[in-house]
Amino acid sequence: MTAQTEIRTTPAWFSNAMARCRNLEFVVGITLTLLLVGLVLLAPVFFPDGGESINLMARLAAPFAEPGHPLGTDALGRDILARIATGGKVSFVVGVYSSLGAVVLGTILGLYAGYYRGVLDTIVMRFADIQLAFPFILFAMTVIAIYGPSLERIIIVMIVTQWVQYARIVRGSVLALRERTFILAAKSYGQSSAKIIFSHILPNAMGPLIILLTLNIANNILLESSLTFLGLGVDPQTPSWGGMLAEGRNYVQTAWWITLFPGLAIMLTVLGLNLLGDWLRDQLGKSVQ
Amino acid sequence: MKLITSTLSCSRQGFVKTVKTGLLATVLAFSGVQAYALSELNVAQGSDPQNLDPIDTFRLSWGSIGSNIFEGLIQRGEDLQLVPGLATAWEFLDDNSRIRFTLREGVSFHNGEPFNAAAVKYTFDRLLGEQGQKGPQRSNYTSIGSVEVIDDYTVEFHMNQVDPVLITKLAGYGAMIVPPKYIEEVGEEAFDRKPVGTGPYQVVSYEPSVELKLARFEGYWNGTAKTELVNIRFISEPATRMAELMSGGVDISLNVPNTSVETLKKNKSVDLVTVGGPTVNMMRFKANSGITADARVREAMNIAIDRDAILNALLGGLGESIATAQGELSFGNDASIKKYPYDPARAKALLKEAGVAPGTDITLDIYNSDETFREISQVVSSYLGMVGLNLKIRANETNIMASDLIPNGKTGELFQFGWGGWTFDFDNTAYLLYHSGERFNPYINDAKLDELLEQQRATYDRDVREQALQQVAGYIREQSLELPLFNLATMYGVSKKVSGFVPAPDDRVRYMNVVVAE
Repeated sequence: MTAQTEIRTTPAWFSNAMARCRNLEFVVGITLTLLLVGLVLLAPVFFPDGGESINLMARLAAPFAEPGHPLGTDALGRDILARIATGGKVSFVVGVYSSLGAVVLGTILGLYAGYYRGVLDTIVMRFADIQLAFPFILFAMTVIAIYGPSLERIIIVMIVTQWVQYARIVRGSVLALRERTFILAAKSYGQSSAKIIFSHILPNAMGPLIILLTLNIANNILLESSLTFLGLGVDPQTPSWGGMLAEGRNYVQTAWWITLFPGLAIMLTVLGLNLLGDWLRDQLGKSVQ
Repeated sequence: MKLITSTLSCSRQGFVKTVKTGLLATVLAFSGVQAYALSELNVAQGSDPQNLDPIDTFRLSWGSIGSNIFEGLIQRGEDLQLVPGLATAWEFLDDNSRIRFTLREGVSFHNGEPFNAAAVKYTFDRLLGEQGQKGPQRSNYTSIGSVEVIDDYTVEFHMNQVDPVLITKLAGYGAMIVPPKYIEEVGEEAFDRKPVGTGPYQVVSYEPSVELKLARFEGYWNGTAKTELVNIRFISEPATRMAELMSGGVDISLNVPNTSVETLKKNKSVDLVTVGGPTVNMMRFKANSGITADARVREAMNIAIDRDAILNALLGGLGESIATAQGELSFGNDASIKKYPYDPARAKALLKEAGVAPGTDITLDIYNSDETFREISQVVSSYLGMVGLNLKIRANETNIMASDLIPNGKTGELFQFGWGGWTFDFDNTAYLLYHSGERFNPYINDAKLDELLEQQRATYDRDVREQALQQVAGYIREQSLELPLFNLATMYGVSKKVSGFVPAPDDRVRYMNVVVAE
């Protein structure tokens, strides 16, 4: 008996530490995210040229070597800090819009598929299976090779490939919820299906969606960087983090700052969003269950 | 195989080494070479021709391999002079309609087959026949009607038409002499993978996209190669290639990207070796429509760009800015044609005169794989921005650009164009770029250019040809029909341990005299 009690009780110091950790997760997550979002939002104020002015006389300047270039300059003499601040816009726009697009499309399809079942369910879920079996990079490369690279196309490609995960999660929740008494009660009152789906089922399926959304934004920022790094992203003139990494890789041995800083920017953004996502999961975890 | 089993008890490292040497010993056994302490040279190049048959390729990546395996009747050395190769002499007969070649005696192929008139006839029959039809080389040699064997060491070429560049072309890929018996025995496909020629090195093994191993051919007629083994590795990623070079993994690297120039210059164990090359970098205009149909607009764009500033700041000064689509070494180059000056004020005035509103959008199509040009085009965009043109850069997939956008005339107002005029004769560039109806000329259709280009193709008279080609170049410059940028140097990264390396301007590197110090 005594042995069992010992195992069940979590020591006080441990749960305190965990709580502090969660707190720390939140503080670091929100700070990083706000810091980078702030930098990106204020970029047009601080760097009106958008990091595009070329100065061949000041090319490859090390951090703090030239006045006005705290993080140094790239191979064309453009200011790294200005390009990171401006380039972040591409990352955030792609990350946020693609995730929102995917969550809206996936949720609607998942809700209807799960609620009505039948043919609709079969069609949507088989589409989802096909989508999951298709490698993202292959799909992205095909679309971009045929239609040419642009920001909108990258976002569309991401939405088309990522709605699946939302649809599956939502459908799962709906399947469990539709048999619950409060839904049956709403049905017996004669409420319309649309009303039941959106005001009774959806709010109860929201928790996991929000968590997935934060993680998805981070993931898509990484994907956008990879695509641009591979030359499939935005055009060469628009500053973007992935593009800066690609441009800088030939200079790694002589000018490390070209790749280091955009790399750090990507890392910190993704880290911040992931920490926030983790924290959200812990907070929502109780109610989600 | 016996060698391998007998050393199984050795340490792992020793074992691997013995296996390697053992295999090579088997390979070299017939030539009687001692199989220990073989000298080795490791080379990296950016791409693999995928096919080692000389008539199936037109890639520079073949040149740096094939020039060690094969020889032609004529040889062009690193100094670009044409010298006797497998032919010792030649003369033009019957008003240039026949060319008689006297062949070198005592030459044999790697497989022991003798080189003679029959081999020459076989080579050209194959090139001009069905087999050649499948590859890109044939079209360079269609001026040859047939080859006649006079005796074992004399052949005659019967010409269909005058071809002033023929002797140069006989040093080219398609005219490399191949062994008739060997090809008949092993078949065309095996020959693509393991070809046999008369050159100083023979193929030991070839793993496409990975590595090609060459070994010295002991029966070579023109001396003996100094290094016994040459391993050519295909490393497509430029940064990886440079890292291999700097870490000593390879002794020589071809295809040094401009972006690595500074890194190599600072490195203590590697030399950057450069030589003027045939490759010109330029942008071409959509000269038949839009604002670029106006010669004033084209001239304005040309003088809005400070080529020398780009060259010196971005490209380490390794090249020359050019006035026409050829370098100084090219036959048909006219030194008196002035380079475009940098004059943004006049550019603005010209644009205003042509009625182009400031802030007009234009598009430049570039290849997305060319990192150097990606940088150049962004600087060009900033120069054009200064005179009021808003240049958008569109990076395209290589195949889409080369087989759709350009041939079908779907490019933006400007498009990137690089051209390696390997013959160093302007005809090769000018005819294909300016004559109406040519694949790479979707926009220019000019009766005067057509006439000049045809005229110079119909004569062997050097003076007449040179004058016609110079007139073509002058006319292009006058009309600003294109936007020439640079003639960039061909660059090699070479370890300080290497001696005897002579840089080849046309990428046709020969490793025969290269030695690697231990």
